[in-house]
Amino acid sequence: MMSTQDVKLMAHLMRRAGFSATRSELEKFLDKGYEQTVEDLLSPGDPGNMPDDLIRRYHVEQSELRELSGAGAYWLYRMITTNNPLEEKLTLFWHGLFATGYAKLNQARALLNQIDMFRSYGLGNFKDLLIKLSQDPAMIIWLDNNDNHKDAINENYGRELLELFSMGIGNYTEDDVKECARAFTGWTLKNAEYMAMRAGKDSIWPYGRIAWHYEYRNDDHDEGKKTFLGHEGNFNGEDVIQIIVDQHATAKFVATRLFQFFASDDVDSESHDQVISEMVDAYFDSGYEIKAVLRTLFNSDYFKSQECMYSRVKGPVESVVGTARLAGSYQQPHLDVDKLWFQTMFMGQGVLAPPTVEGWHEGVEWIDSGSLVERVNYAAKEFGDTTKSGVRDIITRLSRTYSEQINVPDLVDGCLDLIGPIQVGDNTRDSLIDFVSEFSDNNVLDISSFDSKGSKCVAQTLGLIASTREYQLA
Amino acid sequence: MTIHKELSIPYLKTIGIVNNGFNGRGFQNPHSVTIGPDQKIFVLNRCDVARRKAIRIGVMNYDEDYLYEFGYGFGSGEGQLALAVDMVFDSTQRIHVTDEFNNRVNVYSETGEYLTKWGESGSGEGQFDGPSGITTNSKGEMVVVDQRNNRVQKYSNDGQFIGQWGQSGSREGQFNLPWGVCVDGFDNIYVADWRNDRVQKFDDSGNYLMSIGSSTPHDSKLLRPSSVAVDSLGNIYVADWGNERVQVYDDNGVFVNTLRGEATLSKWAKEYFEANPEEKETREISDLTPDLPEHLNSPYHISSQTESYFWGPVSLCIDAYDKLYVVETNRHRVQIFQGAK
Repeated sequence: MMSTQDVKLMAHLMRRAGFSATRSELEKFLDKGYEQTVEDLLSPGDPGNMPDDLIRRYHVEQSELRELSGAGAYWLYRMITTNNPLEEKLTLFWHGLFATGYAKLNQARALLNQIDMFRSYGLGNFKDLLIKLSQDPAMIIWLDNNDNHKDAINENYGRELLELFSMGIGNYTEDDVKECARAFTGWTLKNAEYMAMRAGKDSIWPYGRIAWHYEYRNDDHDEGKKTFLGHEGNFNGEDVIQIIVDQHATAKFVATRLFQFFASDDVDSESHDQVISEMVDAYFDSGYEIKAVLRTLFNSDYFKSQECMYSRVKGPVESVVGTARLAGSYQQPHLDVDKLWFQTMFMGQGVLAPPTVEGWHEGVEWIDSGSLVERVNYAAKEFGDTTKSGVRDIITRLSRTYSEQINVPDLVDGCLDLIGPIQVGDNTRDSLIDFVSEFSDNNVLDISSFDSKGSKCVAQTLGLIASTREYQLA
Repeated sequence: MTIHKELSIPYLKTIGIVNNGFNGRGFQNPHSVTIGPDQKIFVLNRCDVARRKAIRIGVMNYDEDYLYEFGYGFGSGEGQLALAVDMVFDSTQRIHVTDEFNNRVNVYSETGEYLTKWGESGSGEGQFDGPSGITTNSKGEMVVVDQRNNRVQKYSNDGQFIGQWGQSGSREGQFNLPWGVCVDGFDNIYVADWRNDRVQKFDDSGNYLMSIGSSTPHDSKLLRPSSVAVDSLGNIYVADWGNERVQVYDDNGVFVNTLRGEATLSKWAKEYFEANPEEKETREISDLTPDLPEHLNSPYHISSQTESYFWGPVSLCIDAYDKLYVVETNRHRVQIFQGAK
């Protein structure tokens, strides 16, 4: 018999390690138990997402992937329909950390290839991930490593690798940056000159984009001796990455960023430091395995505590995808799916279009008056449609749990439970009850059919709940 | 019956260039080609979301002179199209265009005047759930693939329902989201049974005759075929969309050849590079048919990085001279080959 606490904890895990879960999904996870669910999330199987062939047949822009909105929508389809939510959530994390944007690349296919790479390596070994990142054509163009030559280095990638992608500022010198850049000379992409020119001109002619792939030019690699973080040798990029991943600063950087994304926006207590310290240990004990670091986090007492729950502001993508999953939207190709990507953009997190190499500023910075209106309107539209499978499931569960003639407080409490569960203050609950009461006869509503006034009221109530502070928190 | 062990299908030329705007020469995700009076080439531009208000048909000749275009915008109004799939001329030189979103067929004159429409949403007679491939037979009847109803329907050329066959499934005569359709010189009907990875051949009455592509050797199996065309000798050309190639079979369904695409610069593309010499210069020192790393070796990825190969071959057409037109929606062009003479 599952307790309310069990449901709350599992819902918390799925908000953080995924994009929220429907009640049906929660019930399946609860049958397996918390720790087994964590293990399943960490070992993704068949994603079961909307198949590529269907997407490509009906969306020419998602087949060609010439431009940003189509590529963004393509990824959002995957987030909404995947059976491996942590895989996608972690991919979104790496996308934010190793932020690479369309604006300079003018190449959506290359960005999605990078996303595929994050999906393939994101739960694995951090060393492998950094090597793949350094060989990623989108990253090479984004941070100018195609201009990093043995006789004229470009420090851009070497600097950001150390500052933003692994160790953090204060843990290396300017000389280390230069030596790092020297190690990555020759790491470029095929037909770099032509592809860089096309990217610079945003040229699509004559026949659309030509996708990119990595090329190592041995004759452009600096073979000289280098001194990097106290080590000396004829280092190539892989050697430098080995030195980087061995640093305690790297372990702490990765653990802290993962903690902030999955557990708490701020790191400001001893319990936070304790979990991060355990995550650092897991990083070294496992030989830099991200899976081990995340397992430590999700199974920690802090993560499972009341203090951790609802302590993060949902990011725009979390909000859009989570609401779509709860409402049961976009399960089949949809004419207007591109609008989903614009929705994330309007809320401040257009996927594949981070504002700078530093990614997005998260936490409370997600919310301003404009983005909040977008969030509320979007959720109200998604939940306000009783033809959607997720909304219908909630109505069916309400009628089964209570009655087809449901009283107003039960309707409100049931909606709060099935959309989360979400715990709101008394004032909020009272306001919701007042709202619903206006639609009722003698405080009772008929939800016996999906097109009844009561069912439509359920949909509107869900939309209203989505406008509460509590729903905007994860 | 002749089995062509080696069927030569020489490449002739490429027509097209991507059009990033809302009118004028060039293509915007072309989805179908058909040949009109005086060998004029009509290309249906499905258009991506950003440019869908410019959904239109462009008309040109074989020498790549862009003659004119017509369209009535994106939507469900008179003459408008939403998700246009395929088109064909009827025996009275009117163009019939399928629209898988509006569940109807729009009819235009050769010069682009909107004339009428036929069909409506549903699963009954005369109704559609995603009309896709369309062709016409020697009797002037229209043959339409009704994809989500998993059937083929026949109409008169003024949209009067004549008959239908097919249902959902993978057995003979059943379909799974079929796409393209064509007829041969005997009015046999070939259907690209997209999600069953095969082409099915029927007689004029809808009686099943054979399947192509599902029981052939592994390397010649079809993957999500989108379109089919038959030349004057009965050779069958299949747009093997999922494998980014065109598979060719003889009239008995025996595999004889593969086309992967070998596009060259069209007249319009050459003119672009004449105006952009610095881009031409870097292009000429590039290797545009590179070896790719292992993780990018799916046909889709190969085509996305190899400009001359087919990428998104959605539609085929054979003209009266057995020229084969291959429409590539992702590359905004049409590659032309000489089919059997």
